[in-house]
Amino acid sequence: MLLHHLRVIPLLVRMHIRSQMEYRGAFWLDRLAQILSYGSVFATIGILLARFDTLGGWSWPELALLYSFQLLAYSLGAAMSFTQLRDLEELVRLGTYDALLVKPFSPWVYLIFSGLNIGYAGHIILAVPLLGWAVFSVDFAWSVPSALFLVAALFSATLLTAALITMIGATALIWVRSNHLFSIFFGFWELMRYPLNIFPGSIQITLLTAVPLALTSSVPVAALLGKPVPILGDWAGPAALAAGPVWVLIAMVYWRYATGKYQGAGG
Amino acid sequence: MSVYSAFARSAFHSQLAYRNEVWANIFGKLVQVIARVAIWQAAYAGVGATVVGGVSLQQMVTYALLGGAVMGATRPERIINEIGRSLKTGDVAVWLLKPIFYPLYIFANECGSFGYRLMTQVIPTVAVTAMFYGMLPPASLFDGAMFIVFWMLSVILLSLMSMFCGLIAFWLMTSFSLDWVLGALLQLFSGLLVPFWFFPEPLATIARHLPFAWVVYYPNAVYLGRLSAADTWFHLGLGLGWAGLFLLGVLWLWRSASTRITVQGG
Repeated sequence: MLLHHLRVIPLLVRMHIRSQMEYRGAFWLDRLAQILSYGSVFATIGILLARFDTLGGWSWPELALLYSFQLLAYSLGAAMSFTQLRDLEELVRLGTYDALLVKPFSPWVYLIFSGLNIGYAGHIILAVPLLGWAVFSVDFAWSVPSALFLVAALFSATLLTAALITMIGATALIWVRSNHLFSIFFGFWELMRYPLNIFPGSIQITLLTAVPLALTSSVPVAALLGKPVPILGDWAGPAALAAGPVWVLIAMVYWRYATGKYQGAGG
Repeated sequence: MSVYSAFARSAFHSQLAYRNEVWANIFGKLVQVIARVAIWQAAYAGVGATVVGGVSLQQMVTYALLGGAVMGATRPERIINEIGRSLKTGDVAVWLLKPIFYPLYIFANECGSFGYRLMTQVIPTVAVTAMFYGMLPPASLFDGAMFIVFWMLSVILLSLMSMFCGLIAFWLMTSFSLDWVLGALLQLFSGLLVPFWFFPEPLATIARHLPFAWVVYYPNAVYLGRLSAADTWFHLGLGLGWAGLFLLGVLWLWRSASTRITVQGG
């Protein structure tokens, strides 16, 4: 079964990439627009810092590291989950999800790899050079362990992003509609461009527990730079590394639970 | 005209149908506004002052509440995506057969959604956050009355800008990038997060003259009394001028687009 899946996955990915690249001009125009959009957010934070020097004790290069880390972790995780799981609501509503259930293939694996979104290339094109600039600009003595921590934390944040999006999408199997939960997800996600310590205590707790998006950016970056992390304190580093794998396990259990509850909504 | 008000009512009721979404939207909006206030509190705390550049922290908190809750009630992406979807599915051809003016239908639809967001997001968010953070009243009765006028102008201008961008999709055949580009321009040049009095020159001067400034910056500046009465009237005139230009642009694009529609299949 596993071998069968591994053989089919590259075919699914290749097919979808071909369809996405059918109109290359439009594809790259869309990526350019996304780079402009995220670039303008970054520029706005830059204007704020040019006037106020620091935000919550973070300097401009430190905030650039935070912003680029968040964007990169999100784009890698969302490429593996977002559009696929957002569209699940429509599949459930129209009843076409039933067709996936009778395929001799895991519905989750099929959804993810038949919809792998290379559209996040724009995010990555902006985030990688920005991360590179920030790494060399922050006032921080880099070492092999700290560099390894950065890479491992990025991997964990990617897994956590994909796990949370999977759980939101899976909710459509129970409620039929779940896309409004993405607006809460993105509302909180936008906050994580800023240090966690500037927000009120109730939002800090929410961002570390129920909607643990702080663990995808501000906690790992703060732990790396030795900044104080509210509530977690010295546990910030280990928590950031463990969050991804732990939430993947939770998402797997939730997916199974939601599949068990699925009754079909389409006609 | 009753046809368009029926479209507005229909858009309002269709959004109210899903209660979970109403609560999720209120919650999302509240979080967003609390976060904006937190950003300004942290910025002012960083310089250890309650007044920066002649602007008090309380004024900035009010600016954040107005910018986040009140001015955020218009959703340009909804308009652009609606035009993009009609183009993609071919529905736009059906609108040509009806005795209805499509751009006005889009605007009526947006007015219904605006009413929904006003009731379910703006009023609850402003009420809750004003209670916690102490939102300042308008600087004077004149500023309060003019703020309402500037707010209406902001809704109309943003709807026209969105329609203008949406109609360009007839030539590009994709509305995705237009939505993102408009979002980028609004993010930077509307004063949504950072008002222009904190912008470095000459960027501040450029931003003050662009149409995006009338979406968030000028309504909020009028509310806080940062414009004299003469300046308020002058900028209202300029804003109406921008709205007139975008209206002409939308009419011209719709007329040109109508002749380009090719229906495939069906």
